[in-house]
Amino acid sequence: MKRFVVTAWIAVMCLPVLSACWNQKELTDLAFVMAIGVDKGKDKKFNVSFQIVIPGNVSLMQGGGGQGLPIAIYSSSGDTLTAAARSVTKKVSRRLYYAHTNLIVFSEEIAKNGILNIMDALDRDPEFRTTTQMVIMRGTPAEVLVSSLANLDKLPVNKITKEIKATEAMLGENMQINIDDFLAGLVSDGIEPVVNGFRVTGDIEMAGKAEDLQNTKTKAILAADGLAVFKKGKLIGWIEHEKARGVVWILNKVKSTDVNINWNGKKKAISMVTIRTKTMVSAKVKKGKPVIQIAIEDEGWISEANTDVDLTNPKEIEKIDKLVEEEIKKQILTTVKEAQKMKSDIFGFGERVHRKDPKLWKKIKSNWDEHFAELEVNVKVDSYTRREGIRTNPYWKDLKQ
Amino acid sequence: MSILSKMLKNKQKKRQNDNYRQQQDPQKPEEQVILRSYLDNVSRIKGELGNSTDLVFREFTICQHKGTVVYIDGLADEKLICDFFIESLSDEEFDSRQEPFQVMADKAVGLGSLQIATEWNQVFDSILSGNTIFFLDGYNKAINVETKGWEMRAITEPSTQLSIRGPKDAFTETLRVSTAQIRRRIKSPNLWLESMKIGMVSQTDIAIMYLKGVANEKIVKEVKERLKRINMDAIQSSGHIEQLIEDQAWTTFPTTYHSERPDVVTSHILEGRVAIIVDGTPFVITAPAVFIQFFQAPDDYYSRFDISTGIRILRILSFYIAIIGPAIYIAGTTFHQEMIPTTMAIAIAAQRENVPFPAFVEALIMEVTFEILREAGLRLPRAVGQAVSIVGALVIGQAAVQAGIVSPVMVIVVSITAIANFSTPSFAMAIAARLIRFFMMGLATVLGFYGVMLGLMFLSIHLCSLRSFGIPYMMPIAPFNLRNQQDVFVRFPVWAMKNRPKFISKGNMVRTGENQKPGPKTKPDDQGPKGES
Repeated sequence: MKRFVVTAWIAVMCLPVLSACWNQKELTDLAFVMAIGVDKGKDKKFNVSFQIVIPGNVSLMQGGGGQGLPIAIYSSSGDTLTAAARSVTKKVSRRLYYAHTNLIVFSEEIAKNGILNIMDALDRDPEFRTTTQMVIMRGTPAEVLVSSLANLDKLPVNKITKEIKATEAMLGENMQINIDDFLAGLVSDGIEPVVNGFRVTGDIEMAGKAEDLQNTKTKAILAADGLAVFKKGKLIGWIEHEKARGVVWILNKVKSTDVNINWNGKKKAISMVTIRTKTMVSAKVKKGKPVIQIAIEDEGWISEANTDVDLTNPKEIEKIDKLVEEEIKKQILTTVKEAQKMKSDIFGFGERVHRKDPKLWKKIKSNWDEHFAELEVNVKVDSYTRREGIRTNPYWKDLKQ
Repeated sequence: MSILSKMLKNKQKKRQNDNYRQQQDPQKPEEQVILRSYLDNVSRIKGELGNSTDLVFREFTICQHKGTVVYIDGLADEKLICDFFIESLSDEEFDSRQEPFQVMADKAVGLGSLQIATEWNQVFDSILSGNTIFFLDGYNKAINVETKGWEMRAITEPSTQLSIRGPKDAFTETLRVSTAQIRRRIKSPNLWLESMKIGMVSQTDIAIMYLKGVANEKIVKEVKERLKRINMDAIQSSGHIEQLIEDQAWTTFPTTYHSERPDVVTSHILEGRVAIIVDGTPFVITAPAVFIQFFQAPDDYYSRFDISTGIRILRILSFYIAIIGPAIYIAGTTFHQEMIPTTMAIAIAAQRENVPFPAFVEALIMEVTFEILREAGLRLPRAVGQAVSIVGALVIGQAAVQAGIVSPVMVIVVSITAIANFSTPSFAMAIAARLIRFFMMGLATVLGFYGVMLGLMFLSIHLCSLRSFGIPYMMPIAPFNLRNQQDVFVRFPVWAMKNRPKFISKGNMVRTGENQKPGPKTKPDDQGPKGES
């Protein structure tokens, strides 16, 4: 027994000395891939561009640092994503490292042809995170977005991901959609995924140039633009602006936004900003047909009143609330119509029906898209004005007198 | 491990056989007897002690009997002896009918506690511990008076265990002073003190103190037995004793506690522990010791419970940092880059861009440098100490970063580890963490966080296997005991610490009486509505 213990001890002590360092990789031997762009290739299927961060130029250190460009773009082509990712190592001196990838961009062309051939690689790779944000590049190749620079954020990828986040929080026309969300929408019955759209406008050539950052107003402008509607892994259309907000609203992702209403015949006279909002979607079955009920509760404050209105009067406030409710309802309904036109159930109404009446769902599941297009959708909005900012009545009231 | 211990055992046996035989041999009985002629006695002492020059002989006459007094210069209180001669012997008439030895003994009582010695062993022991021996011609016995009085260091402030609110006295090298310091704090007849001499050559005085009726009799017996088992030529400090009475020699963790603060030792005695006081060392050992005890600082008990609880948790956290701080850095930067937030990963990568070494070597360089600095700072004469700290700040600081040897993050990691290490109240525990840190760094280099986890698991198993005088080292955490959690991670309010820790003390368990919670006390008749009284 003693002999065994001694031998075992010596063997264990040898272990750290003799064994190689399992999976060890020094930080300085890694190339951090921040963003990946997928375009249609010429000879091969895909043309993939990798945005690699140059740490020395990003981090603020004494003496030097932040002098050169923060990123470098390497691209390669391949018939699969893996092939492209492997062949790019011919061009990079370091091991590509995907754990910090924050963004994956698909060109509109790729998306229209279907991205099912790409998603598995992203889902399967242990290094790559499925919390990576997805974006569809509109108009220009994905490489343009991947290689573009940003002036406010040191890391250009942060500009895109943070912008989506900020839009979701303040406007509600876009929402954070990562690979996980997309795949969940893709494989579930009764719901289809949406993906954020991005567009570079202005002088596209300037997007990847440092000199553009010398301008206070950059010549190339990167902006989130619309939500891409997918069906069976293929891009089938876009939902824009306020209709996009309707999608986000139905999906209960709106945190804050603004709703404008007419007053005294003046268009968009009063602006209400949402503080809290909650959407509840439920299904009912009426005469053997599913009916969707959308109930929205909305609380807000009046951020602008450009007309003569007595905000101290509860009755007036009630009237404002009514108008806001109607406005929201109108927008939600146009959004639903838009989606119904595309026959893509991006709201997950099918799931609601499934939960409400599984038997019915089994019957209509196979041609749900048709049912969805003709679905009866009722919207009920309850809006409450909670406060009026730091002023009660607008100066318009005094001007009148 | 076992090979080593076997070798040690063999060696020990050999040494016992060769070296110590003469000393262990009992002297022959006829040599033990004190001679009648005082001159023969004097020459015997001179012969035995090699005519050492610090031996003092003074001849005197009492009742027409010649005699001599023997003591060691510096150990015995010379002034006391001189005064004694002047007052008692020189100018008094003695009744010749009285027995001279008796007269002498009666007089000498005034000097100090007195014994009649008949054997040489006793005589030598006494002389060497500062007593004075009176030989009288014609008697084969001697008067042995306690006249200990040597130069000793005054009681000063503790230098290693500082406290903000606590008492400011520390033990000194003198055993008697130390025992008195404890006695002054526990004025109970139940505070028992037992003495023994350990060390065949050094004959070091050792005292064990415990509270009878509170301390576990079994532990007291075990402590005594272990002390008696010690068979060494000299005990130079309590550190020696500590290493000889431990349960487990193969560990970096201290299994006995030592303190230079009388208040700490007193509180340990009150909890049922046994204190071992060694002459010549200002550090008193208390046993048994449990792991959590090394994170309890005296100030924990002098400040309010909420504050001390927070601080104690901070200390335990910093102990973890001291152990795995650099290991986490190594594992994080070489294995688990995905776990570092993106911006930070890029920042660290940027800093490491110009560092030529892998993270482990970088960490090793810095840690070793720091350990060298710390060791140098401890050993250097005080006058040079400042120079070391100036140079040290250069070595582990901006200069090292600018030279491109290490990255700034590494400097921060090393610094936080060092500071965290210093926050452990017990030096013995802090030093254990220092050693384990390197072990963890090695594991982190080879296996990443997996290795760190393995290391921590190994450490917990090891800690749980340790015992201190039969008591599990991790008590009361493992084995978990709910009733004894009053002073572990959360320090209960003083009024809520009702009982002594059950795993240490046996017998009288009650520490705090009932209804000790402070607050305005309501009298029974106050409970009715106002104005009724």
